[in-house]
Amino acid sequence: MNTENIEAKVIEFIASKVEEVDASTITAESEFEALGLDSMDRVQLLFDAEETFGVTFKDDEVKSFHCVKDIIDYISNHQPVSSAKN
Amino acid sequence: MRIVVTGMGIVSPIGSSVDEFWNAAINGINGIGPIKSFDASNNRSRIAGEVKDFDPKSLLSNKQIEQTDRFTQLAVYAANQAIIDAGGLDHYEPRRRAVSLGSGMGGFATFESSAERRLKNRSIPPFTVPRTMANSAAAWIATIHELKGANLTCSTACSSGGNAIGMGLDMLRAGKADAVVTGGAEACVLPLTISGFEALYALSTGFNDNAQHASRPFAKGRDGFVMGEGAAILVLEKEDTAIRRGASIYAQLAGYGCACDAAHLVAPDIDGQVAAMTAAIQDAGITPDSIDYINAHATSTPLGDVIETKAIRQLFGKHAENIIISATKSMIGHTIGASAAIGSIAAIQSLRTGMVHPTINLEEADPECDLNYAPNTAFAKTLNTALCNAFGFGGNNVSLVFSKPNV
Repeated sequence: MNTENIEAKVIEFIASKVEEVDASTITAESEFEALGLDSMDRVQLLFDAEETFGVTFKDDEVKSFHCVKDIIDYISNHQPVSSAKN
Repeated sequence: MRIVVTGMGIVSPIGSSVDEFWNAAINGINGIGPIKSFDASNNRSRIAGEVKDFDPKSLLSNKQIEQTDRFTQLAVYAANQAIIDAGGLDHYEPRRRAVSLGSGMGGFATFESSAERRLKNRSIPPFTVPRTMANSAAAWIATIHELKGANLTCSTACSSGGNAIGMGLDMLRAGKADAVVTGGAEACVLPLTISGFEALYALSTGFNDNAQHASRPFAKGRDGFVMGEGAAILVLEKEDTAIRRGASIYAQLAGYGCACDAAHLVAPDIDGQVAAMTAAIQDAGITPDSIDYINAHATSTPLGDVIETKAIRQLFGKHAENIIISATKSMIGHTIGASAAIGSIAAIQSLRTGMVHPTINLEEADPECDLNYAPNTAFAKTLNTALCNAFGFGGNNVSLVFSKPNV
């Protein structure tokens, strides 16, 4: 799967998790804070992303995550997405 | 000071509203079947009273569902019903609205699934701890309904719900709250929990192919309890303010008694049970001969049902034979920390309707269980005062006395 497909999948995933935000407004540049995600929400989001995309986030690396693109880049660089669960 | 019940809510294996539950109970509907929630083929006890068709999406957002264990979801479902039934609690200041909830195992579904993941070196859900903690359900009920007074959780195994309701009564009498949302919740039809009770030889194992006959309190051939799940919630408040705000009053919670055996962690004890029933009756300011109905603890274990029968005989003497007794667990199994709260709703409904639900599967009673257990068909009788028993591991014995509002 190419990067564009990963981006679309991750945005679709984020949209399913952020019920309060209009899904059509979510982009790779969307920041977690703007999506209404507090620190616990982000931890839950990353846990769910691990389950969905078959990756394992390293604690020291996710600390700097602040927008959707950080997840897209991590998945692109760390895991063959052919193993993604959806 | 009289404390009254003004709201009720329930989710159980035989009904997910008070009316549904009560209609099923009166008709002796059986809620026991093969376990559906996990593959129990390696368990010796493969049957349970499960809540069917429960969809947490009907009451919680996806985010809230991720942050809650099933026992909390059941508790919130029953609490929503009870608070609506009470007409809301806006009459009272948020800091005067309290919660007192019981659960024996708390969020054990979360504990079991997270433990399994951790043992396989997989990451665990970040809400593992707040989902598992026993006070999670009470906290969520408070959060959703803005109940900003005391928020208590009682965990005394199978008597948790009974103690929680009693603690609610105490809080109101002590002037520490104006309204208390109280009851019990449990959701432990789970591989490890079932195995744990199996290891104690507490569960029925001889009726896996005949599930409908497995939970048979007081009957010949009973061989242990059947695990159940559910939640039941009451709204308690002072009678005078309930009348002033125009609430419907279902019953008076007249007395609460508890006693510890301080003898054995899991074996029942006649003296402890007599002490709890006596204390509740005294607390209600009545005498034993006023009790018309007992919603028995009656789990369907060979020893427990005989001990409870003997305790009732010892306390009530000849009057024991005038009392109608019934076992809700014959239809739904043992819902652990929710059982006394569910039994309380059955007792209140008996007072309101003049009907006692049957103890099903009681074709032939154990000769040592020789009282009137309303076998197999509902029993009509005018009732004024009812007792609800709950006994739990740890030697805990709890009794609650409910009476008609005008008694």
